[in-house]
Amino acid sequence: MEHIIQGMSIKEVLSTIRGTDGYFITNTARDLSQSDFKNRILLHTDLLAAPAREKAKYLSLEITGGASIHVDILRKQVDPFLKLKLLREKMPNTMFQTLCRGVNLFGYRPYPQNVIRQTVREFAKYVDVWRVFDFLNHIPNMQAVFEEVQAAGKILEPSICFSTGPEHTNDYYLSKVAEILAVTGDDILLCIKNHGGLGTPKRIGSLVEAIKGKFPDLVIHYHGHNTDGNDVGRITAAVLNGAEIIDAADHAFTGYYGPPPILTVIDTLKDYGKNPATVDVEAVIETSEVLRNEREHYDYFESQFKGFSPTVQIHKLPGGAMGSSFEQAVKGGFLDQMPRILHEELPKVQIELGNWWSVTPGSQIIWTTAVSNVLGGERYGNPSGDLKNLLLGKYGPFPFYQPADWIYEKVFGSDWQDILAKEGGKEDIEDIDLEQERASLTKRLGTEPTEQQLVLYLQHPNDAVDFFKFEEEFGHVYVLPPSVFLRRGGYEVGETIHFKDHYGKEHIIEIGPKQLDKNEGKWNIYLNVDHQQRIYSFQEESAAATAAKAPEISGKEITELAQTGDMRAPFSANVCDIKVEEGQQVKAGDTLLIMEAMKMQTPVNSEVDGTVAEIFAELGQSLKAGDKLLQIEIA
Amino acid sequence: MKKKILIANRGEIALRIIRAVQELGYTAAAIYEKPDNEALHIRAADEAVCIGDGPRVDYLNINKVIAAAQKVGACAIHPGYGFLAENPAFAKACEDAGLIFIGPASEVIENLGNKVIAREIMAKANIPMVPGTSNLTAGEAGTAEAVEFGRKYGYPIMLKATSGGGGRGIRRIETEAELVESIPLARSEAQAAFNDDRVYLEKVVLTPKHVEVQIIADKWGTVLHLGTRDCSIQRRNQKLVEIAPSLIKDQKLLDTICQTAVVAARAANYTNAGTVEFLVDHEMNFYFMEINTRVQVEHTVSEMITGIDIVRTQIKLAMGKKLSFSQDDVQLRGHAIEMRINAEDPQNNFMPEGGKTVSVYRSPGGYGVRLDGFVYQGYKIPEVYDSLLVKLTVHGYSWNETVDRMRRCLHNFVIAGPKTTIPFYQNLVNDQDFQNGQFDTSYLETHEHLFEYTDQRTEVNKIARLIAEIHFRQENPYAI
Repeated sequence: MEHIIQGMSIKEVLSTIRGTDGYFITNTARDLSQSDFKNRILLHTDLLAAPAREKAKYLSLEITGGASIHVDILRKQVDPFLKLKLLREKMPNTMFQTLCRGVNLFGYRPYPQNVIRQTVREFAKYVDVWRVFDFLNHIPNMQAVFEEVQAAGKILEPSICFSTGPEHTNDYYLSKVAEILAVTGDDILLCIKNHGGLGTPKRIGSLVEAIKGKFPDLVIHYHGHNTDGNDVGRITAAVLNGAEIIDAADHAFTGYYGPPPILTVIDTLKDYGKNPATVDVEAVIETSEVLRNEREHYDYFESQFKGFSPTVQIHKLPGGAMGSSFEQAVKGGFLDQMPRILHEELPKVQIELGNWWSVTPGSQIIWTTAVSNVLGGERYGNPSGDLKNLLLGKYGPFPFYQPADWIYEKVFGSDWQDILAKEGGKEDIEDIDLEQERASLTKRLGTEPTEQQLVLYLQHPNDAVDFFKFEEEFGHVYVLPPSVFLRRGGYEVGETIHFKDHYGKEHIIEIGPKQLDKNEGKWNIYLNVDHQQRIYSFQEESAAATAAKAPEISGKEITELAQTGDMRAPFSANVCDIKVEEGQQVKAGDTLLIMEAMKMQTPVNSEVDGTVAEIFAELGQSLKAGDKLLQIEIA
Repeated sequence: MKKKILIANRGEIALRIIRAVQELGYTAAAIYEKPDNEALHIRAADEAVCIGDGPRVDYLNINKVIAAAQKVGACAIHPGYGFLAENPAFAKACEDAGLIFIGPASEVIENLGNKVIAREIMAKANIPMVPGTSNLTAGEAGTAEAVEFGRKYGYPIMLKATSGGGGRGIRRIETEAELVESIPLARSEAQAAFNDDRVYLEKVVLTPKHVEVQIIADKWGTVLHLGTRDCSIQRRNQKLVEIAPSLIKDQKLLDTICQTAVVAARAANYTNAGTVEFLVDHEMNFYFMEINTRVQVEHTVSEMITGIDIVRTQIKLAMGKKLSFSQDDVQLRGHAIEMRINAEDPQNNFMPEGGKTVSVYRSPGGYGVRLDGFVYQGYKIPEVYDSLLVKLTVHGYSWNETVDRMRRCLHNFVIAGPKTTIPFYQNLVNDQDFQNGQFDTSYLETHEHLFEYTDQRTEVNKIARLIAEIHFRQENPYAI
C-alpha cells in the first residue's frame, strides 16, 4: 500500500484512498490544542513530537487554521508561517491540514474577496489539505476559498456542518453535498464536521450511509469531538458505513472536548475487522511517550471544568469553544450561572435564532447572546453588533427559518421591518486596496513587510503589528520549552535554562538575583547569559500608577456620563474601530466607535446630539470599563 | 631605587604607556581628574595622584602635572597624545624642572607646531609641499597676495589659521570672491580661537590619500622610519581606520616617501618618536603636510608589522639610549589594520553616547589580534572625555587575511549599552573598495551605504530580555 505523502495531487490521493481497504487517520493536533488547551500547545512541543508523528504515517496532521493563527501571534508569539516551515523540515512527507472558516477565514466575520484569495494563496504554500466550512452551510460563502485551493493544486475538503434536531435530516445534508459537488467537481474529500460531537453513533452511521448511497465514490472524512465521551462510537459507525478518513489525536494530550485517542479508535475498529491503512502503531505510542512529559506545563490551560460534558447534546457548544466558555465564566464571575446558561438559555437561543450550526463565528453569537440574556436581565436587550448582522442576513441566509418577529423588534426597535428591508441581505464586501494596506503596515513597522507579514496583518491588524514588534524585541521565542515560556511566578535564582536559538546556536541562561536600585527607582535583574553577566533594568511599578489606571466607576455612572456627552467604555474591551473624527457632528444613536470583547464586536452609540470635541480612545487600545472614550459637546 | 615615570594622560594611551613602563621594570605613576576616579588606568598604575576636579582642565594644567611628578618623585613624564602632548610650554616646563620629557625637545615641538615655520624648515630641506603662501601680510596687501595665489594655482584653496590644527581653523575657498570675503572673517575667528590672527593659503589636493611615516630618532643622530601607514578613512579630519603599510602598489614611491620623512625629521632636528604626514594625490605626487610630535593613536599598526615596541623605544630614547637597531633591521611583515571602536552613533553623525553604561563587554581573541582598551563591563561612557572604548588591531600575512581576521573579530565583539562604531565597521570590511584597498579621504562621503545597517541585538540577548521580564514581573503575560 502506497503511503499518501505531501505533494501528491488530489487525483493520486483519491485513487490511493479508493484503492485501499483500510481507513485513514488525521492527527487533529490543532483541534485538540484548541478544544482542551485553549490553543496554547507550543510549537516547541509540536516540534518534539514531529519525528514520531512523521513516522506514524497519518493521512494528515491538522496543525493550523481555526483560531490557532490568531493565538499563534497573540499569545504563543510564533509566526504561523514559520511554524509550518519548521514543522515541514521535520516532517517532509506528512500532509499538513488546516481548518478554514470560508468567507470568515481564520477570523470571526467576513473578509473581502481579495483578502481571502491572498490569504489562501500564501497559506497554500505550506498547507496541503484545506477543510473549509461555513456555519450556515451556505455554500457560496466558501466559493472563493474553494477556487484558490483548487488553483493552488491542493487537496480541497469542503465540509457539511452537522447538528441535530428536526430540520437536520439526511435529505437536507444530501442536498448540501450535491450543492458542494456542483461547485467543486468530484475531486474533493468531503468532511462531515461534527464540531460539537453531536448525535449518536447510529445517527452518524445513518448519515454516512445515506451520503455513500447517493455518492458512492465520494471520500468521506468524519470529524468529531469527544465532548460526551462517545466519539469513538460515532467514528466506529462512520467507518463501518463507509467513511474513509477519521479524526483523532495523541492520547498523551487527549482531554474532554477534543478528538478521542488514536489508539482507542484503532483498537475498537480492529475488532470489526477494520484496520488503518498506513498508521504505524508503535510510532503513535512513541509520540505520546514524548508528549506525556510536556503535559504538566499546560495544566493551567486545561478546562476549569474537569470531566466529559454529555449535556453537549443539549447546549451544542462546539468542542473548540468549551474551554474558553468556562474560562470566561470563571473570569467573569458567572460560573454559578453556567448550568442555566448551558442547559436553559443556550438551547432556547439556539432554536430562537434558527437552529443552525453552533460553530465559529455563529457559536460565539449564540454564546454571547445567551450570556447577555442571562446576565443582562432582559433577553435580547443588549444585542451585539454581530447579532444584528446575523439577523440582517449579513453572514448569509437562515437555512431553515428566520427568527421570530419579536426578536427583530427587540433588537432593532419598532421600525425593524424598514431596517431589514433597507439593510438586510448579504452584501458584497468591497475589495480593500492591498497596496494601501501594505503602505500602512510599512509605516507601522518602519520597514517593508514580507508577503506573509501582510497576510497576517490583513487578518488581525493590531495583533499582527504587536507580534512583529515583539519578535523584533524578543526574538524567536518558540525555541523556549513550555516549562520556561509558560512559567508562572518567575524563575528560581540559580536555575539554568538551556536552549538552541532559531539560528542553531546553543545558549545557557542562568537566573541571577533581583536588586532594587533605590536611587533610580528601578529593578535590576541579573542573568548570566552564556557565562557573561547581563543586567536588565525595569521600572518599579508604583502602587499609585497602578491605581491611576483603574477608575472605579459603575455601569449606572457610565450611562449617566454618556447622557452628558462624556462617553466611557461600557465594559472591558479593545477599541477595534473609531467611526468619527474630532469636530464631526453626531446625532443620538450614531455609532461612535466599536468595541470588541470575547471576539464579539459591540458598537458604542452616542446618547446625545452634538459635536465630537475630543477623542481619547486609540485604535487597538485595550480599555477597562469606565475609561474615557471621547467627549461630545452637546448641541 | 626603581625609576618612576609619570603618565600625564588618561584613557587607553595611559594604559598602553603603563604597560611599557612596567615591562621596563620601572614604576608607573598615574594622574587623574576626579571624574576619572573609577578609571582603569588608576588601577593599572603602581600609584596615582588626583590632580583636581577637572574635567579637562587639570590634565591640561602644566603646573599641576609637574607638581604631581615631583610629588611622586618621577624622573620622567610621558605625555601620551592629546592634552599637553604637543604643547611646547609643557615640554619646556619639564626640561626646566629637571624632568625628562618623553618626546622631542621643546623647541622642536614649537617649530613644528607652527605651520609656517614648519613649512619654512621643510622648504629648506627640499621636501615637496602643497603650494602655499607664507603668512599673509595684514590688510589689503595680504588680500592682494591671496588673490594672486589663487590665480596662479586655481581653486579650491584652503585658508588656514597659522596657529590652528587638528582640523580647526581651516576653511575651503571655491572662488576669488569668496576668498576676498573670507580673509577678514578667518582672521577674526583665528584671533578669537587661538589669540593669533595670522592666516595663510594652501592649494587643495583633491581627494588625496593620507599616508604617514612613523619616525624614531635618538639623540645621537640616528633617524629611522618604521614604514608607512594609511589613515585615509576619516570623518571630518578625524581618523577612524588606520592600516600599515600603505597599499600603494608602487614600492619605489613608498620608499621615497619614507626617505623623505627621514630627511624631514633630520631637518627639524627631531628626536624620539614622531609621525611625518603626507598627502598623495591621484597622480602619485606626494606633499608634506605636518609632523606630529607625539605617539599616535595608530602607532599600533606600525608595531604589529615591525615588531618594534614604539612606546618602549620612546622611553629608552628619552633616557638617552642609542637606537639598538639599524634601518636594515626594520623589516615590514604582513599587514595590520586598526579600528577605533568608539561609543558613537555613526548613523547620527557619530554623536558620542556619553552617559551610557557598557552592560556587556566581550572582546575577541586569538591569533593576530590586539586590543588596546579602557573599557570594562559596567564602564560608564564619560560625557566629559572622549568616546574611544578600545582600539582593535589585527595583523595578518596578506591584506585579504587581515581583512578576514578583522571581520571575524568584529563579529565576535559584543558591546551592549552604548551604540558603537562596530556595525559601521562590519559594513566597511564587507565593502568591495575597502577590500581592494581603493580608498582615499573621500571614502566615507562616497560610500554612504556603510551607514545602512540596523542595530541588531543578538538573538540570545533578545530572548534573555524576555526571561528577565517574566522574572521581574513574577507574572507571565504569555501564560495567562
